[in-house]
Amino acid sequence: MLRRAVLQTFRQGLAQSFFKRYAVSLTETTVTHQPIETSNEAGERSVPTQKTGDESRNTVVVAPPEFRFMYPEFLPDPAMETRNRLREKLERMDMLQRRSVIEIPEFYTGSIMAVTVADANSPNKFARFVGICIQRGGSGLRAWFILRNVVDKQGVEILYEMYCPLIQKIEVLRLERRLDESLLYLRDALPEYSTFPLDMEPERRLNNSVVPINPLKVKLRPRPWLERWERQNLQGVEDLNLPQRFYDKAEKVAKPWEKYDLMLHYRKTIPAEEQEKIFAEVHSQLQQQELKRKLRRRRGPDNEQ
Amino acid sequence: MVFHKRRWLVRRLFFNHEQIRTMSRVKRRTTHPPYWHVLKNNQREDEKISSDNLRFVREVIQDKYKNKSPIKGSDLDIEKTVWDPKTKRSGVIARNIGVQHMWEKDGKKVICTVLHVLDNHVVRYVPPEEYAKSVIGTKMFKNRKPLGCLVVGAEAANPDRFTRQYCSLFDEVGLLPKKRLARFIVTPNAALPPCTPLTAGHFVIGQAVDVYGKTIDYGFQGVVKRWGFKGGPASHGATKFHRRGGTIGTGRDKARVWPGQKMPGHMGSERRFNRGLKIVRINMKYNIIYVKGTVPGPTNSIVQIFDTILPRRRFTEAPPHPTYFPPEDGTLPQEDIWDSSLHVFGSPSISV
Repeated sequence: MLRRAVLQTFRQGLAQSFFKRYAVSLTETTVTHQPIETSNEAGERSVPTQKTGDESRNTVVVAPPEFRFMYPEFLPDPAMETRNRLREKLERMDMLQRRSVIEIPEFYTGSIMAVTVADANSPNKFARFVGICIQRGGSGLRAWFILRNVVDKQGVEILYEMYCPLIQKIEVLRLERRLDESLLYLRDALPEYSTFPLDMEPERRLNNSVVPINPLKVKLRPRPWLERWERQNLQGVEDLNLPQRFYDKAEKVAKPWEKYDLMLHYRKTIPAEEQEKIFAEVHSQLQQQELKRKLRRRRGPDNEQ
Repeated sequence: MVFHKRRWLVRRLFFNHEQIRTMSRVKRRTTHPPYWHVLKNNQREDEKISSDNLRFVREVIQDKYKNKSPIKGSDLDIEKTVWDPKTKRSGVIARNIGVQHMWEKDGKKVICTVLHVLDNHVVRYVPPEEYAKSVIGTKMFKNRKPLGCLVVGAEAANPDRFTRQYCSLFDEVGLLPKKRLARFIVTPNAALPPCTPLTAGHFVIGQAVDVYGKTIDYGFQGVVKRWGFKGGPASHGATKFHRRGGTIGTGRDKARVWPGQKMPGHMGSERRFNRGLKIVRINMKYNIIYVKGTVPGPTNSIVQIFDTILPRRRFTEAPPHPTYFPPEDGTLPQEDIWDSSLHVFGSPSISV
């Protein structure tokens, strides 16, 4: 019974927190009747149980549902042929070890980040790159993300492995999301959409609990393009203005039944029960690391004074 | 060039195009189990057993196996033997649970296979004189000094899943029947008494091991995947010739298809050794070995790990001989042991 209650809370929380946290746009924040909680507060909340003398010991700490979006690399690859619970557990322990050394902040596709990497070939032994995250993937220690920028009129993309020990620092300069999960179309877009100053300062967030969605619609260059963007249902791109035959062929080639294919989606995701278990495992350690970092930040300016 | 069918002669035919034909002729594997394979049938199939009797059976099993405390080194009567470079130690049965990426101290990424050493126990030791008389022993030790054989079992399971004959193999030593058995050829000074547990500590950090396993079963495969043929052009008018083999003979010479001609067929599920893999990390708590490189077989398959036979990577110093036992005074060994070349995840980032 407790388990069912936990699951229900987790899944309801998943849906609610998604809309709470990832507002549709900067102007249209959904009006919720519940108070907006930060992830810290949500983490301290435990499953409500009847506080009798015996049952007060049985509180089950559940990670906040936002963890699924904040730390997607903790979820393993859903392919059943390569899954093994023990190996995944050991990998998660290693990931937490690495996270205790370096802060890997929460970021999404569309956030502007700066990564400092140890590089033997650069003059001061460290190379810093600023760019917009156009794609992220991988699971476990193989998690990666791609940063794109335009430097001297040349588009540059760098793939960084999140847990590589050569990485010294990962900063999120602007935390936001875009209308698509993958911004590969920026390669065919006008260069100004991918250009960010290399000396950009980190921007302070006004509202810590909500990650804004940037509703920007990007203009593409004239064809030829690297991919058939008209076949990909992109939300973040302006009207492509293609001849009708492209859209007809796209309709012919489309697979509209896939959104009804439950087994396909089941095979591509980790079930909610498992997700809850995984995040409950890592949740306390991540919270401790967050707290330590906050204390260090507070002490930092004090010590300097 | 006379065409021989015998394996040892085939290996000596070198430096000509016929070698390719003859090597594909070598009998690689069968799909039926070998004659020494002990069949363990699932006993439970047609059992119409009442619930009372089932409960009774479970009680009997419990009583038989319940008072089993972990075996200490002092309980077993192991003769104190000296290690020498010619010693062959026991191997270990493990499960390949997947692959993890780690980084070396200079930032280079390495693929490491994670091997989970299952609950290995020695079932029986067959001394050299006796083993040399067995069918396999006569073949192995025809022209060399006979060695002993250790039968090791892994992965204990419920006894009512196996036949009585299979369980009897373990009854004499008082072990729960194991799902998997393996034979390891050892020198007499590395013999172990029955019920000895083998753990991840049996190996040393930085040593090289050979891993034996059955490769991934690809099923019936075409010539492009199976033999690496190039096939035909994808376009430019190629009619129904994209992944086919092409010619299979000349027409003049011999005027027939030579035996061993590479064609589509069953691929994979072959017994292979990957030799000289370095152990880069050992986790004593979970009995896990991380090995640099890959291992034959798919994830979650059983493999056997041996000390390497490669001459340049053999032991120069004595390893835990004949096997590792945790210290008697109860001090726990270091839980996670890393090789010096690897970057430990909890340590600061690498600066070049």
